[in-house]
Amino acid sequence: MSLARINWRELLARFGLVLALVALVIILSAMSDRFLTQSNIINVLRQISINAIIAAGMTVVIIGRGIDLSVGSLLALTGVVGASLAVGGLPAGVAIAAALGLGLAMGVFNGAFVAYAGIAPFIVTLAGLTIFRGMALAFTDGRPVSGLPPAFMTIGYGSFLGLPVPIWIMLGFLIATHVILRYTALGRAIYAIGGNEEAARLSGIPVRRVVLFTFAYSGLAAAIASMVLTGRLNSAQPSAGVMFELDAIAAVVVGGTSLFGGKGGVFGTLVGALIIGVINNGMNLLNVPSFYQQIVKGGVILTALLIERLVSTRRT
Amino acid sequence: MALLSMHGVSKRFGAVTALQGVDFTLEAGEVHALVGENGAGKSTLMKILAGVQPPDEGHMQLAGDDVRFSSVQEAQSRGVVMVYQELALVPTLSVAENLFLGRLPRFVDYGALRARVRTLLAQVDLQLDPDIEVARLSIGERQLVEIARALAREGRVLILDEPTAALASTETDRLFEIIARVKAAGVSVVYISHRLEEVFRIADRVTVLRDGALVGTRAVAETTAEQVIEMMVGSAVHRYERPARVRERVVGTFEVTERDLRPVRITLHAGEIVGLAGVIGSGRERVLPCAFGLRGSAHWNDASIRSPRDAIKAGIVLVPSDRKAQGLVVGLSVEANLSLATLGRLQRLGFMRAGAVRAQSRHWIERLSLRPPDPDKVVWELSGGNQQKVVIAKALATEPEVLLLDEPTRGVDVGARAELYDVIDDLSSRGLALLLSSSDTEELLGLSDRILVFREGRVTAELQPPYTYEEVVAHVTGAHQLA
Repeated sequence: MSLARINWRELLARFGLVLALVALVIILSAMSDRFLTQSNIINVLRQISINAIIAAGMTVVIIGRGIDLSVGSLLALTGVVGASLAVGGLPAGVAIAAALGLGLAMGVFNGAFVAYAGIAPFIVTLAGLTIFRGMALAFTDGRPVSGLPPAFMTIGYGSFLGLPVPIWIMLGFLIATHVILRYTALGRAIYAIGGNEEAARLSGIPVRRVVLFTFAYSGLAAAIASMVLTGRLNSAQPSAGVMFELDAIAAVVVGGTSLFGGKGGVFGTLVGALIIGVINNGMNLLNVPSFYQQIVKGGVILTALLIERLVSTRRT
Repeated sequence: MALLSMHGVSKRFGAVTALQGVDFTLEAGEVHALVGENGAGKSTLMKILAGVQPPDEGHMQLAGDDVRFSSVQEAQSRGVVMVYQELALVPTLSVAENLFLGRLPRFVDYGALRARVRTLLAQVDLQLDPDIEVARLSIGERQLVEIARALAREGRVLILDEPTAALASTETDRLFEIIARVKAAGVSVVYISHRLEEVFRIADRVTVLRDGALVGTRAVAETTAEQVIEMMVGSAVHRYERPARVRERVVGTFEVTERDLRPVRITLHAGEIVGLAGVIGSGRERVLPCAFGLRGSAHWNDASIRSPRDAIKAGIVLVPSDRKAQGLVVGLSVEANLSLATLGRLQRLGFMRAGAVRAQSRHWIERLSLRPPDPDKVVWELSGGNQQKVVIAKALATEPEVLLLDEPTRGVDVGARAELYDVIDDLSSRGLALLLSSSDTEELLGLSDRILVFREGRVTAELQPPYTYEEVVAHVTGAHQLA
């Protein structure tokens, strides 16, 4: 979209999100003087990094009019497999590469059922959600994997140019996702399929291959997020990542990507993840009990969707 | 006094004025045609009448009372019912359930319901099992079910928005009989159409809108098609004539077949337009989807076409009949749509070449004089004619040898239609071979170098020019066999 012609509605829809974030930041910094400090901001960014990485993959799937509910379980599975390989003596780099490969493969598994067997993404990935969780538990016999080599500590706790490594990984993955969506033929095909699958097919786009890719990409995202989480915890839990899929979907949707596919982007998803992260952080600083935090988080999601609906209505 | 009158109705959408001080009256028992090019404001005016949206200014009187409908339900309770272009039935429910959608009693007596449904369907000449799913009905039958539903609500003003756009001509005849019947029963009908011959066939009066303003209202008996067209476009339109053409180089031969279509062989020459005629259900409507690899089996010069990708690789491309459902991603820009069929060529190492994409869209926007000439315009904001140009341009960007045109001017207004005909003519003069499938006989006559007539799943005649309208219609309907 060029800037030659300004679409005010779109601009408002896009700016509105950033404005909401800015408003939140102003309110929270007025309520707590610990909020707007460099260390707290870095803290927020690091906290959202795992959700933002998963959500970036989810954005790709949702733009193609899919959904991936299996990411939380897949995060656990790739974490325990990668960690076990490393503990078992494989070089850390190889173990991590294997974990990422496994994420990709399981994503292909989801995508194949969706694209080639024609089963609804919701159902396929719901099955994936329980299958991958079961595999993670079976693989570890329900026990966490610990005693990891120091490379994982670097991922979780290292820093580079003053920023923690998880933030760098998040930024790198977000940028890569943005580039794929905006600047590659594959990305344009994903938008076309999400917008009108039939028209995409009649245009000669290999729809099934592209849909397969979106799920594979989401699987990869879950595996990358898993490596960050494993590094943070310095161990891999087979029970990790429960409900992470819902946090990721929330970030995508709050970020303005339509669940009906065809529009949205990863920038919005980052802002969505930030809004959710800032609210969580602010409530912690203000000592809001965690039960209430959940209520507020749900309320924020509804409010964001309501605003989006009001801004984007009237397309006759 | 008129049954219904609208005075000084205005409506704006953001910066766009959709209607500007329009007056409209409707007598009891009158068929009143509403015509105008796309974007003239016909649908907006009728949506205001039907309670879909409120006017910004103006007032309405119905049977002497001042009314202002704030919802569709309110309009329906006063007997004003609109039958939409996009049919508003629930395909997964039965005919009976659809007829009483939202009005079923709390406990349903199915026996009584069926009896009531049969009476209603008889009013529109439909003999259907009330329990049949709507999804299994033809478009024409669905439309009649919608009219029956309107009658069930004791409608006295029935608004039909382009009812014949998707109908075969026999179904159209049936619809017109029903319109005549409800008119005789005192119901008033507003008839929105792009087809003037229909207006002259069934309407008592015709109101013309242009650019959201009223041009005038005429008694049909006291006006001519030329006058109405002039009111619509504001200047004389050019009538399309096609010069005779010589067939030279053979481009290739199609062989297509499907369950309800006997094998058809069509040899195409460069620069030739072959018309396919036939009512819906004759097999004619199956040929192009088949040839493009969407269903059935197709061979092009002995190579099998199993998917749209195969077809495009073989130099064959389809302009599908339903542009919104099959041709366009309406939420994306003109440029994004134009590049869809050529993503492969517009990339390097997977990355889109922004310059090449822009150059391609500039080229086609100019070549087909797209309005507005803005590559970043979102497609759903364009008029029907311009949307169709985008579909055609997207297809042409693949540099095909054969273009399959399926109902290329469906739902397109008169002015844009002539423009599309010029585009099609220009393409054939550049050596492209075209297969044109159309339910518009005049269109086939104007464009085709020869016409294949389909009936009962096979080709029953190949007509060569000079042919007449009557001749083609006689073959299509099978009437020539009666002579």
